[in-house]
Amino acid sequence: MNGKERILRALSCQQPDRVPVIEAIDLPALKKLARLLQIDVPRSVEPGSHAARSFENAELLCLVAEKMELDGLRITNSDPAFAQMLPGEARQDRYGRTFVRKDGRLWQTAGPIKTEADLDGYEMASKIKAEDYDEIGYIVDRVGKEKALFLRLNDPVHLGWTLRGGMSNLMADFVLNPSLVHGLMRVATDYIKAVITMTAAMNVEFFNMAGDIADERTTLMSPRHYRQFVKPYQKEIVELVHGLGLKVMKHTDGNVSTILDDFVEVGFDGFHPVQPQCMDIGEVKQRLAGRLCVIGNIDCRFLLPFGSPDEVVESVKDTIAKAAPGGGYILCSSNSLHDYCKAENFVAMVDAAHQYGVYQ
Amino acid sequence: MDPQEIYRYTVDGDPPKVKELTQQALVQGVPPEEIIGKYLIPAMAEVGSLFERKDFFLPEMIAAALAMREALNIVKPLLAGSSDPQIGRVVIGTVRGDMHDIGKNLVSMMMEGAGLEVVDLGVDVSPEQFVAAVKAKEPKVVGLSALLSSTMLEMRATIQALEAAGLRERVKVLVGGAPVTQAFADSIGADGYAPDASSAARRSKELIQFRG
Repeated sequence: MNGKERILRALSCQQPDRVPVIEAIDLPALKKLARLLQIDVPRSVEPGSHAARSFENAELLCLVAEKMELDGLRITNSDPAFAQMLPGEARQDRYGRTFVRKDGRLWQTAGPIKTEADLDGYEMASKIKAEDYDEIGYIVDRVGKEKALFLRLNDPVHLGWTLRGGMSNLMADFVLNPSLVHGLMRVATDYIKAVITMTAAMNVEFFNMAGDIADERTTLMSPRHYRQFVKPYQKEIVELVHGLGLKVMKHTDGNVSTILDDFVEVGFDGFHPVQPQCMDIGEVKQRLAGRLCVIGNIDCRFLLPFGSPDEVVESVKDTIAKAAPGGGYILCSSNSLHDYCKAENFVAMVDAAHQYGVYQ
Repeated sequence: MDPQEIYRYTVDGDPPKVKELTQQALVQGVPPEEIIGKYLIPAMAEVGSLFERKDFFLPEMIAAALAMREALNIVKPLLAGSSDPQIGRVVIGTVRGDMHDIGKNLVSMMMEGAGLEVVDLGVDVSPEQFVAAVKAKEPKVVGLSALLSSTMLEMRATIQALEAAGLRERVKVLVGGAPVTQAFADSIGADGYAPDASSAARRSKELIQFRG
């Protein structure tokens, strides 16, 4: 059974030969891992350009995934327009959102939609450029037959608040301007569907609908507002994915226990990452068993950055004992492998999953 | 009109209505201090309670805070001696390296709603900027926010900078944000920790009262 077959079985709430392992590996963490694993960073023929760096990073991700025998990966594209940004420099993307680069990350500072009138004639779907997904195509061609590659899509809520120039603005709109929320969700959904259609044609088979809609207490918006403003659009996207014969997981940090059943009704194939600070993996698995694949839960806030490999192994054993029986579980960190995580802890996590995750 | 409606429409999160009612109340001769103390602060306390009970969520809380701000924009300039904060002044910011602002903004709004004067330094605030603000604004509380387990370590650096500048005894330090816990707050020598915006406002007032 290869990685993709394992993931497909788990997403169908069935039992593969062993607990599958996937990860969302951020670039600095990828480079640390490569050093630990003694994998040379590949060099392209035209060093220095964005295209070259994209190729190098994409190839490095493939090499690490192969060496560690990961069953799948989150894959994400980088916008060439932002690749050359200088620290502190502000730049507007083609959708009208303004960003600034700080400490190697992009932070949004403004959005194009201030009032409902700004939505007149506004759309994102026609502005998508195929070349933004060149590195995705490379990774899919390179390892997509053996591994499940989850393309990160921002979900309608996430895109909505980026268009509104901040999460506070969108949250206030739920009460003060409901028709603007629906307008934003429509624009975002059309864009997401266009990305799915285009990348499915490039043989992308798995999607990760990412966007936090909860904090550690509960959902950001009430379950009533979620059902009114968000759920119908998520369902529309999931129906497109399933119509293409493909799979999609929902990622959100935080405690979403009040809307877990809604995720099942939407039709998601998996729920990620079951944040250990606020959701109990055993309870979540028990509640979703046979209905929705459970993904994640290995703590990347404290354990992977600050813990020891032995502590990681204990956490993996404990998590497998609670979540793996009967199948329908994919092991990975509780968000992503970010730059503060220790590479040796990630290696310990994957090795332990391989050792203790074998189904009898 | 019944000024009590200011309370009701603030809790309901209706900024235009609260603005209109506040203007009417002033015309009727309701003192600005009464609008704040009798209607706005109790309204935001109720919003905080509803939020803590999970009857209210971020949209309702933000809408209420925006309604409150409409009223404050009208009545604050009318207050006598408005340079002195009513209860106390708080300097707040998201620590260096962290650009997240929604949690910090919510805390600011709830603190305002609790009658505190808030000096918001924004995001990515260095220890040196906090020190300068404490010198210039003389707050009773400094609020530090962080969303990342990496950047929350900057909270310790900020407290150390306040110590090095000889200012630590003059302010109480309140910390909060997704990765922050009471244990972490204790470990870096913070005076208080708050798990959400509503309790941050309440905890600030407790710290000010405790400080005398």
